[in-house]
Amino acid sequence: MTLATAAFGSVTLAHYLFVASALFTIGLVGFLTRRNLIIMFLCTELMFQGAGLALIAFSRFHANYTGQTFVVFVITVAAAEAALALALVVLLFRRRESLSAEEWRELRGGSSCTASRRLH
Amino acid sequence: MDQLVNPFVLYGAIALGGVGVALALPRRGGSPQVLGALLAALGGVGVLALLGGAASDAGEALPSVYFYLFGAIALAAALRVITHKRPVYAALYFILTILSSAGLYLILSAEFMAFALVIVYAGAILITYLFVIMLATQAPVGGDTSVLAEYDRAAREPVWAAAAGFVLLAGLTTLLFSGARTLAPTGNPASLDLAALPGTIETALREDDLIGAGDKVVIEDDRAAIEYGAVQVERADGTVEEVELPADAAVSNTQSLAYDFLHNHPATIEIAGVILLMAMLGATVLSRRQVILEEEAKQAQMRALGGAG
Amino acid sequence: MAGAQGGIELHGIAETALSAAALASDAGTIETVTGPWWTILIPLLPLAGVVLCMFCAIAGVKTKLPAWLSVGCIGASFVLTVLAYAMFADGAGEITKGWTWIDFGWGDSPGQHITGNFSVLIDNLTLVWMLFVTGLGALIGLYASEYMEHDLGLGYCRFFAAFCLFVFSMACLVMGDNLIMLFMGWEGVGLCSYLLIGYFYKKPSAVAAAKKAFIVNRIGDLGLLIGIFLTFTHFGTLEYRELFAEGGKLAHYVALVKAGHAGEVPLVVQLIPVLLMVGAFGKSAQLPLYVWLPDAMEGPTPVSALIHAATMVTAGVYLVARFFPLFSCSAWALPAVAWVGALTALLSATIGMAQFDIKRIMAYSTVSQLGYMFCGLAVLTPAGGVFHVVTHAFFKASLFLCCGAVMHGFAGQLDLRRVSGLMRMKGWMIVSLAMLVGCLNLSGFPFTSGYFSKDMILAESFVTPGMAPIGWILLFTAGLTAYYTFRVWFRVFVGPVEYEPGEEYHDDEHHADGHDDEHADHGFHPHAPGWAINTVLATLMVASLLAVGLNFVDRSRGGWVGHMLDDSTAAPIGAAAFVAEHGAHAAEHAEAAGEAAHHGSFLGMNPHAVMFYVSAVFGLVGIGAAFWLHYVGRRTAATAKADALLPAMGPVARWAQHKWYVDELYDFVLVKPLWVIGHVFYLLDRLLVDGLVNLAGFVPRWTGRTLRPSQSGELHGYAAQMALGIAFVMIVVVVLLGAAS
Repeated sequence: MTLATAAFGSVTLAHYLFVASALFTIGLVGFLTRRNLIIMFLCTELMFQGAGLALIAFSRFHANYTGQTFVVFVITVAAAEAALALALVVLLFRRRESLSAEEWRELRGGSSCTASRRLH
Repeated sequence: MDQLVNPFVLYGAIALGGVGVALALPRRGGSPQVLGALLAALGGVGVLALLGGAASDAGEALPSVYFYLFGAIALAAALRVITHKRPVYAALYFILTILSSAGLYLILSAEFMAFALVIVYAGAILITYLFVIMLATQAPVGGDTSVLAEYDRAAREPVWAAAAGFVLLAGLTTLLFSGARTLAPTGNPASLDLAALPGTIETALREDDLIGAGDKVVIEDDRAAIEYGAVQVERADGTVEEVELPADAAVSNTQSLAYDFLHNHPATIEIAGVILLMAMLGATVLSRRQVILEEEAKQAQMRALGGAG
Repeated sequence: MAGAQGGIELHGIAETALSAAALASDAGTIETVTGPWWTILIPLLPLAGVVLCMFCAIAGVKTKLPAWLSVGCIGASFVLTVLAYAMFADGAGEITKGWTWIDFGWGDSPGQHITGNFSVLIDNLTLVWMLFVTGLGALIGLYASEYMEHDLGLGYCRFFAAFCLFVFSMACLVMGDNLIMLFMGWEGVGLCSYLLIGYFYKKPSAVAAAKKAFIVNRIGDLGLLIGIFLTFTHFGTLEYRELFAEGGKLAHYVALVKAGHAGEVPLVVQLIPVLLMVGAFGKSAQLPLYVWLPDAMEGPTPVSALIHAATMVTAGVYLVARFFPLFSCSAWALPAVAWVGALTALLSATIGMAQFDIKRIMAYSTVSQLGYMFCGLAVLTPAGGVFHVVTHAFFKASLFLCCGAVMHGFAGQLDLRRVSGLMRMKGWMIVSLAMLVGCLNLSGFPFTSGYFSKDMILAESFVTPGMAPIGWILLFTAGLTAYYTFRVWFRVFVGPVEYEPGEEYHDDEHHADGHDDEHADHGFHPHAPGWAINTVLATLMVASLLAVGLNFVDRSRGGWVGHMLDDSTAAPIGAAAFVAEHGAHAAEHAEAAGEAAHHGSFLGMNPHAVMFYVSAVFGLVGIGAAFWLHYVGRRTAATAKADALLPAMGPVARWAQHKWYVDELYDFVLVKPLWVIGHVFYLLDRLLVDGLVNLAGFVPRWTGRTLRPSQSGELHGYAAQMALGIAFVMIVVVVLLGAAS
């Protein structure tokens, strides 16, 4: 089979699952990397996207509507969580005038870690 | 474990993607983001090509071009979300990701979900995000990137993060692919759902004058007996014959989804509503401005009230 | 004298065997009956004395009450012993059970039941020992009541508590009816010896001497313990009643030996006496374990008199006497005992000749006389050996007590170069006379009790085949003994009157006046002994003179002691394993020569007849030499004619004075390597054992230190850890799935 057919040939569940996993991973990497609190939450939303895509793909391939039902709930919960998260971020921003996640380090153990850069 | 694709090639492609993402993440002194993006793209395409090769013997498949289109846009936009220095642009790219996800949902026959995604996610959640970003971020004027906050400009430990993430991806794909090779799409879901709604079938058949008023659809276990696009009908005189389903006897996705909701998960709708209510209350409480009252002011207020009432 | 000898006519081995067999048909065995309850009080009364002294200490008594209590308890014990003697002498052994101590079995066959009750066995051997243990104990307790009066209060109570505990332990040792009681008493006397030698615990030399005594004794105790173990495994019992029963294994072996078949006795049985011997040598200070006894003179003099002259050191002799049948069954045991005893006697006599401290001289003399006692047993005259124990107890105790009186009166002065002419000082007559009587006994002056007891041993050593060299060594040593004994007497008690105070004087003066460079002795008055000391010394003097009479009671059986021993396990069997072999050869040889088999002879004459004269000659020669060298022409305390001889003897005199460097040898060969090993183990302990323990403490701390940075408080860190954790779990699942499928 030629490369063209191979490349544009049949699309299976595995393709969708890979894309979903890749979205999830990119979201995870972003969460681990970025220090802006809002962008971090955005990356968690990206992870939701990946999960949702996987669910829909499974729903299609199993000919079952449970997957899509579940995605409805995922979106519901994502919305609720986004609202509350952003409210909290606003409050945190008011405290430190900065959106950096590294400002918040009080829950740490031992004196051998690097000291917090700013005391309040 | 029998793998869908050769695991070493798979892991190699994933590693390549990881390297690419690590390079693409923003750094203090400028980073080879384009190169990184290219490498990541290469990795992703490699995996998809592999899967394509493997899928050629897998049987029935779905339309493909749109998948690649929407998939590519989704992944590219997601990569841009995490690598862009400016938060507003990250949010905007996220909206692009959502739109391409919606496209993918469409080609998976989940029309309702696609539009629900766009309306709720892109239309509500992301707008909220944008508002908050604009509250808290000073946008650079012109090309002056020094105004950008430190925490936006440089990624934190990009190599380790990419490594952690892509190790997870390798594990995920191994697990998923080992199971996925045994699956194939099992036919049109719409027709099966149609079997759960015998009344709709009867209505559609009557509209097309395929059955008379007294004829009924044969019901077995609360489902109409549909086989290969033809339904068994019991005529008024007791004979059973097969009638071909007309093309417009299909149930739409929204209807199926609603039916599934109410038939199988009735209580969860209520719970979802409660969750949203709680979120609303929570947000209200959290964003209240704290007013600090002094003791004398409080007591003055008390006296005023006590005097008045 | 030869005619009056009578006695055991030993004309031949066969006749010996017959007569001995006729004399004591159950030689080597005892029959026993249950005795009356009050006999158990004999060891328990001193124990009550211990408790009373402890109460005195708790109550803070500052008078001589502990002394009177102790003397009372021990005296009561003595009275009961006399009563027991009156009632049970010559009878069967009386066994009184105090209480059950060790009594359990793990099977039904004979060797699977071990019994070690607190019971006493009263037979003749026990009575002989207990009479002088309790008698001397009471007398010396009375002496100590005055001697220790400078230490009234807690020290006094401590002294008498240990004193009573010692008498109790000695009683257990001698009166116990099983080997476990004996061992308990053995250890008990060792403990009390330690406590009492180290009585002046603030003196480092005393503490060192106490440790030395205990440790050297321990070495002997190991042999004893292994001997006891072997006894149990071979004979299946530790009780004397069963060991020495008439139909028992031991009786069978004895019969074999008497019949001349000594080779059929099994090897284990021949080994047991050797091990018991090691224990005896440790306790009784023979070669090579004698080094502790001279150092033990650091203890107060009553302790030296009672423990290290009369009682504890005779425990070894008692052990050999009690187990005489067993010793007779072994071809090596008795000859080994004989040679060790003889060599020890000679060696310590030579050392004693060169010492200047009179207590040390007496200590070496004790070691030497103990050698005589062991030789007595080994040449098959247990009567001689035990008689010498009895006489030695009295005269050596009195000699030590006299030295103690000198020490007490001259503030600790014991150097014979510093004190002279005591007999002429007022109040010292009794001491001098007691000392003279003791010295006469020790030297074997004719007609003293020491003379007769020593003579029995010397004579028998020429009778028993193969023991003649021993006899010559002992004769020579007798001469040396006479010499050094009278050296002491001639230097200290006669001659020009001179004295210097000892070390304790300077301490007292130091405290009193505060002058610290007064070395002249003006202002020092010797403190003559009081009534208690004089009474005791007089009693002992009279007793040691009267002990002569013991020899003439029942002459046909070897004196009173011989008569007593005949009915105990220490009865002479008449043939020991080595004699059986040797005698068989001699018998053949003699028969080939046409003579009747004959016993040994002294230069061709009958030893029993001749020895009286020979030993008297040797003794008088020794006394004469001392007289010439140490009395004649002596003008000062410090010099005598003997000093002129010193250059002629060269380094020998110096070596003798340094005790032939035996202590130094032991230090080099034993103590230093042990010290090195100890340090090696100390290092091992610190590095390895402590290191491991510290490691156990270090590992958690290190783990915590290493893991703590992960709790950095950073959100990203936690997220990364979560992601990696999930990845890890997934990989594990993948691998497991891969392995499973």
